[in-house]
Amino acid sequence: MKRLFSGVINGLAEIWGHKLRSLLTISCVMLGVASMVVTTGFMEGFFGTWEASLQEAGGLEKISGVPQSLSERQAPFAPVSKGFTLADARALTELVPTIAVLSPEIDAESSRLTRKGRRFVGRAQGVTNGIFEINRYEVAEGRMFSDLDMNDHADVIIIGSEVTKNCFQPGENPLGQFLDYNGRPFLIIGVLKHYERLYGTYNTLNWKNDVAFIPITTMASKVQRSDQLSWINMKSEDLSRLRETVDAAANVLAQQHRGLIDFKVKTNEESLASYASTKASFVVGGSAIAGVSLLVSGIGIMNLMLASINERVREIGIRKAIGATPFNIFSQFVAEAVTLSLLGGAAGVGVAVAMIQGLGAVLPPGSAPMLAPSAFWVGFAFSVTAGVLAGIYPAVQAAKLDPIEALRYE
Amino acid sequence: MNSVREVLRLDRVGKRYPMGDTIVDALVDASFTLNEGEAVAILGPSGSGKSTLMHLLGFLDSPTSGEVIFEGRPVAALTERQRARIRAEKIGFVFQAFNLLPRLSVRANVALPLAYNSAPPADAEARVDRALELVGMTHRAHHKPGELSGGQRQRVAIARALVNEPRILLADEPTGNLDTKTAAAILDLFQELNRLGRTIIVVTHSPEIAARFKRQIHVLDGRVTEGSA
Ligand SMILES: Nc1ncnc2c1ncn2[C@@H]1O[C@H](COP(=O)(O)OP(=O)(O)OP(=O)(O)O)[C@@H](O)[C@H]1O
Ligand SMILES: [Mg+2]
Repeated sequence: MKRLFSGVINGLAEIWGHKLRSLLTISCVMLGVASMVVTTGFMEGFFGTWEASLQEAGGLEKISGVPQSLSERQAPFAPVSKGFTLADARALTELVPTIAVLSPEIDAESSRLTRKGRRFVGRAQGVTNGIFEINRYEVAEGRMFSDLDMNDHADVIIIGSEVTKNCFQPGENPLGQFLDYNGRPFLIIGVLKHYERLYGTYNTLNWKNDVAFIPITTMASKVQRSDQLSWINMKSEDLSRLRETVDAAANVLAQQHRGLIDFKVKTNEESLASYASTKASFVVGGSAIAGVSLLVSGIGIMNLMLASINERVREIGIRKAIGATPFNIFSQFVAEAVTLSLLGGAAGVGVAVAMIQGLGAVLPPGSAPMLAPSAFWVGFAFSVTAGVLAGIYPAVQAAKLDPIEALRYE
Repeated sequence: MNSVREVLRLDRVGKRYPMGDTIVDALVDASFTLNEGEAVAILGPSGSGKSTLMHLLGFLDSPTSGEVIFEGRPVAALTERQRARIRAEKIGFVFQAFNLLPRLSVRANVALPLAYNSAPPADAEARVDRALELVGMTHRAHHKPGELSGGQRQRVAIARALVNEPRILLADEPTGNLDTKTAAAILDLFQELNRLGRTIIVVTHSPEIAARFKRQIHVLDGRVTEGSA
């Protein structure tokens, strides 16, 4: 302990003794650490947001049946292909017991919602209560749909926070009020939770806020005037039975569609796989940047240490002559290198914080890096590693010096 | 006869420097024994091999022939680490060229051996104070060596050699830069340490100084002979 402490003190004294030279080396490490921290910040922010989006889009147990054009062989039957219907949804519920929740959806992409001269273009969907569980929506105020709403094709609507924001005065309670959709007043029975995950100042979950849900029966009979579904989402009872459920659902749908494969049954595994492969390539790229920065910092430190040892041959000889073991000398120089790189590391983290804040103000929201707390540890670990690695070789050289040769050195 | 313990022994030690085509024999067939508690003066003209001999005795250098034996063990068989430990614990060395570290203060220079010594850090301060006091350099403790006179630097070098309270003191011309009065004080100090049982080996040019020691070793052209001043 006493040696480690005196090693650091001694290191600081040496650094102070060669201000310009040390400053250049510290700058080397500083740039290396700063680029590391900013890169890590970019990656952390980017992947954290992506991962949260994946979760919010339904997670792994989610299965989707989506329409798909017929294969070339089946193409002549195209006129017979009707796509998904409510009958398909019923068949799936009856015949595939491992489907825990089912959500047939009719998506009326950009739909105009108006009220007292205010209007909002959002995304109206005809749904069942299944959507709340599968796509992770939560009714914050009011209620979900009742069986009566479904059976009566009732004109009721559940709206997201963006709809509220755009069609109502601040502070006004939308529950119990009417909102016009497709020229028909709908009674607001529920308001969804506000979803938010900021990436910089950009809310990456805003797509969950600009929706408006009406009963699927209402959408089919009064708005779309056909019961063709946009897609069917399902949730497997258990992750271990995911494959089984996918196969069963595909069979039932093939049966329903008289063998026409005008659909595809897919899971989130694919988007997860693309998430994983993108992340892997970023990690490789990030590691390459880290490696180069480490190398640059290391070269800077090693260069300084070698120069310093060359100048201090006599000092090394004196220390050895009065009882320093080779290990004492070795640790003295490693401690110096680490002190140097820690100073650079601290400066680097400082620069990175300033850079991230600066970039956050200049770059468009959504592409600015985030300051992940792990970045500080990365910076710290990085500079210690650079210091130790770059210090070892010069320190070994110093420890090997023959005391009498060193003392004779002029 | 009371029992004497052998500390250092040279057995036909030679040191030869290759100098291009010629060779310099700095030391030839040197053999003698130093016992615990002895006080020895080493005499000889400039270039005769005194410093070479001292370096071998402090195992800073290794002989080209023969053996140096420390407390019965051949030094050549010790690892560098073991040699360093012995230097740190048992030997104090005063260099002819002082060899102070220019960037450290007088105090830090004197304290240096304690960093490599097993002495408890608690009394480090007290030991440094005492060593500085012994050579009368307390008032310059916070100066750098560059701000001192030759004699003052020499005294700091002596304080550094004494700080770890070594059993063996090897001093290469420790009074060369001192006036007669200061030199006498330092020699009194050495004699006092010797009276307390320390082994003292001092290189000197001066027969008067050599006469104050019980034993004299003469070096002439690398050859060692016992003799009186
Ligand atoms: N590294 C070396 N290479 C070649 N010759 C050397 C080396 N070191 C010492 N010598 C030679 O060895 C001889 C003895 O040198 P040494 O330093 O031991 O003399 P000294 O008795 O201490 O002299 P002084 O009283 O002047 O200090 C000298 O001739 C010197 O030139
Ligand atoms: Mg000499």
